[in-house]
Amino acid sequence: MACEKTKIEQLHKYLDEDMTLLEKKQLEQHLKSCSECEQHLRELRKTIAIVQSTSHVEAPPDFTAGVMNRLPKQSKPDKWKTWMRKHPFVLAAAVFMLLFVTSVSSFWSGGTGSQITVQGQGNFHIDEERSVVVVPEGETIEGNLIVRNGDIEVEGEVLGNITVINGDNYLASAGHVAGEINEVNQVLSWIWYETKSFMSEVVNVFNGSDPPEED
Amino acid sequence: MDAVVKKIIMEVKKGDQQAFAELVDLYKDKVYQISYRMLGNVHEAQDVSQEAFLRAYTNLDSYDMNRKFSTWLFRIATNLSIDRIRKKKPDFHLDDPVGGTEDLNYYSQIAADEELPEDKVVQYEMQEWIQNEISELPPKYRSAIILKYLEDLSLKEIGEILNLPVATVKTRIHRGREALRKRLRHS
Repeated sequence: MACEKTKIEQLHKYLDEDMTLLEKKQLEQHLKSCSECEQHLRELRKTIAIVQSTSHVEAPPDFTAGVMNRLPKQSKPDKWKTWMRKHPFVLAAAVFMLLFVTSVSSFWSGGTGSQITVQGQGNFHIDEERSVVVVPEGETIEGNLIVRNGDIEVEGEVLGNITVINGDNYLASAGHVAGEINEVNQVLSWIWYETKSFMSEVVNVFNGSDPPEED
Repeated sequence: MDAVVKKIIMEVKKGDQQAFAELVDLYKDKVYQISYRMLGNVHEAQDVSQEAFLRAYTNLDSYDMNRKFSTWLFRIATNLSIDRIRKKKPDFHLDDPVGGTEDLNYYSQIAADEELPEDKVVQYEMQEWIQNEISELPPKYRSAIILKYLEDLSLKEIGEILNLPVATVKTRIHRGREALRKRLRHS
């Protein structure tokens, strides 16, 4: 046992290095002459060493999963919001894709409707009921013909190209086409065709000339 | 470290629940250690330390970002541990007989695949003994001693965790050391 109660408090302060240099010197001086206090200090140091010798414990391996499972469930919109915040590019791509697909499909199916349309000039007639463009016998079309959403029957003569979008081309034995015949029925080739014609229009606008009459 | 922790907390606050797992991973050992040393029982320690993280999650809005996160978290863990000690039923010991059996105690329930080498047994018993001695301390001294000597925290931090002035923390550490000395000096 230490000699006086005040001295025990001093010993703890000494351990905590919580005293002035003078107090420290005085206590060290006292320790040399007082075996009780010296013993007490030694026991305190040993106590601290024993406590500190306990190995550090670690949380069990499934600890984090256990906590996460017990967290309050997040509502769906929250999860979506978080996900979207984390993946802005995926979101942008998805929005772009959606716009692209809707615009393409509206062009393809809607747009001009399923109404047959013909681009080109000449003496042909349109049979709306059968969705057929007929170039009658003896007639000559000078330029190109583009038929959408319908078929074409050529009994006369066409000097330019014929393009049939979403339809078929029938060439009667008497009929004659000087240029190329294109049938565009697949969505992809239609897109390609649209892009090509758009680009050529752009090029023409830049060249400052009218679309050339290919013949 | 602090910047990383703040970033994770911001993400959790924005609603990213999964980011919270990173926080748990960072602090789980320390929080578990506090609860284990306070309670002296692995099951209760796991329960209380997981509860501490749950409380931290649900009360994250009341955490002051200008303060140290660990201080706030350790405070929750210490308070929960002290609550648990207060509510604790009569102590449960490994030496207690298992209910409904004659001479089966809890030691025999622990799976022993292989014989432990003797030095390991000694080390294990030593650890057990120290833990028992810590558990004998009154809770208010126990928390101060654990935070000081097992978590290596400064007196100022301990004061913030326990919500006490530094002078009181010092007194509790002194008393705790004195109580332990009386029990350990003849070992």
